[in-house]
Amino acid sequence: MFDAIRRFFGEKKSGEVAKKRMQIVLLHDRLSISPEVMEEIKNDILRVLSRYMEIDQKSIKVSLEKGDDYAALVSNVHVRRVYRHALSSPENAQKSENSA
Amino acid sequence: MAGTTIVITSGKGGVGKTTSVANLGTALALRGRSVVLIDADIGLRNLDVVMGLENRIVYNLVDIIEGRCRLEQAMIRDRKLNTLFLIPAAQTREKDAVHPEQMKELCEKLEQNFDYILVDCPAGIERGFRNAVAGAQKAIIVTTPEVSAIRDADRVIGLLEAELMKDINLIINRLNHKMVKRGDMMSTEDICSLLAVPLIGVIPESEEVVISTNRGIPLVHDKRSDIANAFKRIASRLEGEEIPIPTEIPGDSGILSKFKKLIWSS
Ligand SMILES: Nc1ncnc2c1ncn2[C@@H]1O[C@H](COP(=O)(O)OP(=O)(O)OP(=O)(O)O)[C@@H](O)[C@H]1O
Ligand SMILES: [Mg+2]
Repeated sequence: MFDAIRRFFGEKKSGEVAKKRMQIVLLHDRLSISPEVMEEIKNDILRVLSRYMEIDQKSIKVSLEKGDDYAALVSNVHVRRVYRHALSSPENAQKSENSA
Repeated sequence: MAGTTIVITSGKGGVGKTTSVANLGTALALRGRSVVLIDADIGLRNLDVVMGLENRIVYNLVDIIEGRCRLEQAMIRDRKLNTLFLIPAAQTREKDAVHPEQMKELCEKLEQNFDYILVDCPAGIERGFRNAVAGAQKAIIVTTPEVSAIRDADRVIGLLEAELMKDINLIINRLNHKMVKRGDMMSTEDICSLLAVPLIGVIPESEEVVISTNRGIPLVHDKRSDIANAFKRIASRLEGEEIPIPTEIPGDSGILSKFKKLIWSS
């Protein structure tokens, strides 16, 4: 009876609501990333991007954005030039960068 | 002998750590294992009353650590099982009376002579928590199907993983199957997908738990209790047996299930 009324008003079951809320809350809690790990993430992003483009290594910024129902990792990098062909692997890309 | 030290912890208070320690310890001892229960909740001693051993306390954990008694002197033997012992917490001391290093030493000493050392962790993530986990190779996280308990459990799992604890299992306590069925409680699957650690058992919500703590006799001694069997299955799983976790636990209401219980218990 109560259930039927709830469904009529399109109200979600409280168990489902709890689960959805916890998914977001735990995501936010776990995203409290330490500066060391953040530095690693930056380096990894640079390594991958360097395969495809020449970038200003010092320009990279990585931050976490927390909204009401989402969490996002936002990265901003200045691109100098895009390669016509991707370099074979991130490691090679770094080498060529260093030797240049 | 190389025993195993397991800490039972939760972050949030009142979710069933002490209940789990008392019943799991008893279940393991019923299987013939030698077991020491350590109440690490200094200042808020409770495991002694749940085990019905409150009248036998002379020395406590802090007395051992500060050298006022020998280890054996502070170990209280269970009333029913002679391979089950309790080291009670000090009631009139602060948590910082013990250092993590000292707890580690104590657990290592006990591991030489006992199969299992179960540590009842205090609520919170401060000094008392650090002490309780210091000597443990394994952890059992207790949570209830509520948002606050789950959030705290996740935090504790994160802290344990940061300490490189690899063996972490989950007990979901106080599950109300009726509420799950009607959609008003997170299900076992929901909780497991949120916390992402292996499930070792599910304990239903039940009045029996309160009644058994009133008497100071762990519920595991009651052969007819569903809860007792759930704890016994967890003990078996701890010992490496593979027993599936039943998704539908028979309810304790209804004429049919009462009738079934009658047949099974006879
Ligand atoms: N499955 C259950 N069904 C009904 N009541 C329960 C159940 N499990 C525990 N309780 C009750 O919940 C209360 C808290 O349990 P317990 O003392 O084991 O929690 P705790 O995690 O050790 O608490 P604290 O953090 O204060 O040490 C007790 O009154 C206990 O009887
Ligand atoms: Mg307790």
